Amino acid sequence: MIRNTRTKRLSIVSAAVIAAALTFSTLPAQAADPGVTASEIKLGYSGPLTGSAGLVYGKLPGGMKAYFDHINANGGVYGRKINLIIKDDKYLPTLAATQTTNLVLRDNVFALVGALGTPTHTKAYVSASLAKKNVPDLFVNTGFSGFANKSKYPTAFMVLPSYAMEAKIIAKFIKDTPALAPQASFLIAQDDEFGVDGINGFKLGGHTFSAAPTLYPQNGLSAALAEGALTKLSAVPGKPILILFGTTDTTATILKAAEKLDLVSKFTWLAGSVGGDANTLLALGVKPATINGALAASFFPDAKDLTDPYVSEFAKIYAKYNKGVSFDNTVLQGMNSAMLTVQALRAAGKNLTRAGVMKAIESKGASFASAGLVPLNYSATSRVGYNGYWFGQLNEKGELKPYGGKLAIFTTDSSSTEVPTASTYVRKSIPKNGVPTNS
Amino acid sequence: MSKTITAKKRLLAFLLLGWVLLIFSDRVGELTQYRGAFVATYALAIASIILLTGYSGQLSLGHSALMAVGAYAGALTINNLKLHPIIGLFAAALVAGVFGLVFGYAAARLSGPYLAGTTLALAISLPTIANQFPILGGEQGLLFDVGAPPARLGEEFSQYQWFFWISSLSALIMIWLLANLLNSRYGREFRALRDNPIAAQLAGINTGLQKAMAFGLSAGIAGLSGGLLVMLISGVSPSAFPLSLSFLLLAGAVITGVYGLGGVMIGGVILVAIPEIAESVAIALGGSEGFTISLPDFIVGSLVILTVLFTPYGIGGTLHKKKHNKH
Repeated sequence: MIRNTRTKRLSIVSAAVIAAALTFSTLPAQAADPGVTASEIKLGYSGPLTGSAGLVYGKLPGGMKAYFDHINANGGVYGRKINLIIKDDKYLPTLAATQTTNLVLRDNVFALVGALGTPTHTKAYVSASLAKKNVPDLFVNTGFSGFANKSKYPTAFMVLPSYAMEAKIIAKFIKDTPALAPQASFLIAQDDEFGVDGINGFKLGGHTFSAAPTLYPQNGLSAALAEGALTKLSAVPGKPILILFGTTDTTATILKAAEKLDLVSKFTWLAGSVGGDANTLLALGVKPATINGALAASFFPDAKDLTDPYVSEFAKIYAKYNKGVSFDNTVLQGMNSAMLTVQALRAAGKNLTRAGVMKAIESKGASFASAGLVPLNYSATSRVGYNGYWFGQLNEKGELKPYGGKLAIFTTDSSSTEVPTASTYVRKSIPKNGVPTNS
Repeated sequence: MSKTITAKKRLLAFLLLGWVLLIFSDRVGELTQYRGAFVATYALAIASIILLTGYSGQLSLGHSALMAVGAYAGALTINNLKLHPIIGLFAAALVAGVFGLVFGYAAARLSGPYLAGTTLALAISLPTIANQFPILGGEQGLLFDVGAPPARLGEEFSQYQWFFWISSLSALIMIWLLANLLNSRYGREFRALRDNPIAAQLAGINTGLQKAMAFGLSAGIAGLSGGLLVMLISGVSPSAFPLSLSFLLLAGAVITGVYGLGGVMIGGVILVAIPEIAESVAIALGGSEGFTISLPDFIVGSLVILTVLFTPYGIGGTLHKKKHNKH
């Protein structure tokens, strides 16, 4: 009996000790966010790697990965190595939603970085419950101004200037350029938030087109449709301005149609920043003579300009970690997003949390070093990244040179009718070896 | 008499399955809940193909378009008419059903490859048409939000569990109704139509009407699954319904077995699992990018070939046969 009681007591005590030990051992000082350990930070990317959008933007995550590899080789972020998990969504919303959800729920990423594609990511953001789970959605690679809406996308940070800003600045550029101002102008734009944002920007900028814009669905502009549109516009007297507000593959389709119809010199071509990547245009079979003289807007230095300290450093890093793949504007964009991410992670401090990273971007993001020639606009109330553009003219080699020989940068916003203003912004110089040391 | 017992048994089986799923949804993590919701959605879509192809003998390559019709109808009901999301899902089934009925009636004269060609044209053209009307939101599409789960289900009840409940319940009810229908006079008429249209006509069956009815019913179910699919991705847009979806569902139906509803859940599981399996295999083998990308399609294609070679009645059909052989 005594033995039984003793056994009972012993078992009760040991059970209590085990329970207490379990409770205390599982109670950390602060509940850690998913995706962060003492040695690793897991980040996720979902975007098109294949399909026609993949052809143009598929190199973006490779650029990010190469930069993160460089950071990892240089000690990581406070000793933590960055592990970027890359998923292909083929630019399809269903895949974007499932891939992003997988990244959050299965791979337990700490944050998403550089997500690309407006129609895909707007859906993925909601499906993956990024807002509810407080998953930082860092440096979204789309110019859809809606992502700056903090109440709708509370964890998202834009990086590209919005399409509306771009349109406003194009409007001002045309008005201020004597050779362009008197000409008729036409818009061919993608029929989604991309084009709609742009049309809205042209309205805000007070620009009137000579005809209603030609809208087409993404991937929906065939060579025949492009030829039809160009033939119709070729009847317009003078040298009309054709503004192409779509992805680079569509710009290529239109330019090739012009080559076929021998109408290249009939128009002044003006490609938006998304659709004006010369390397991709040449790779897609557009003749060098066709792009020679075309106007394009950009907020970055030209990826071919190796005299630019950012471009040369990034190109060096890329050549080391992603051998054999050519360096272009998309890669530059990816590496720049990665560099901003590393600075954000550093700025959040050693005790890394999701809330901490978002707060750090809000308070310090505007002063991050970046390749952009225009300022970043992060603050407690603003999720807008870059807010301006400069205009350049492409040459046969696909290099974008400042229009009129002098770099003129303009900044603006997405919603007011205020005229874009000339900017005197001078960016920070690139950190030594491209490795940020901010805190 | 025996029929009543079967119907009762079926109801009990579905109730039991529902109960098991309810318990299951409480025990698993959010990711499994989300995948489970996709399984239910795909199972429903496969069931709609089985009804059309396996029972009434009509081949459709355009089920993604019918799903799109339902999805857009649901989104417009929720966004523009401001009605409850559940009514939105009803509207998805109803509008797609009526669309299917009209289309089916027009296409009733067609059969075999001609019908397949017509439905293929539907699958290609319909999403593009959606781009032409501003009310349908262009390429960006429309929001499809069923809202957060009711507060009384508790704080722990996640959005994904809510999705799982809605999808599973819709699939269970719909497949139960369908199973009953296929065991009724209509089911027999559909089968007669499939096996010998002339004999069916001689027996007094209005073949045109029955074909249109089968098409309408199938479209209605496809429309509901389309509504569920866009609920899971929180928005509807043309690119959510690519042609490849039609082929994937058809492949799922072949693997499941087109002559019975028994394996639809397995079909759904296979469709959800294949990309995951392909990814694990690709990581394990470490092949080129091209290999990784084409692996899921390769697995689906291989499964279809293996099914046709070794279990021509599909997984569901083979299981059914084994069960009956035992007796």
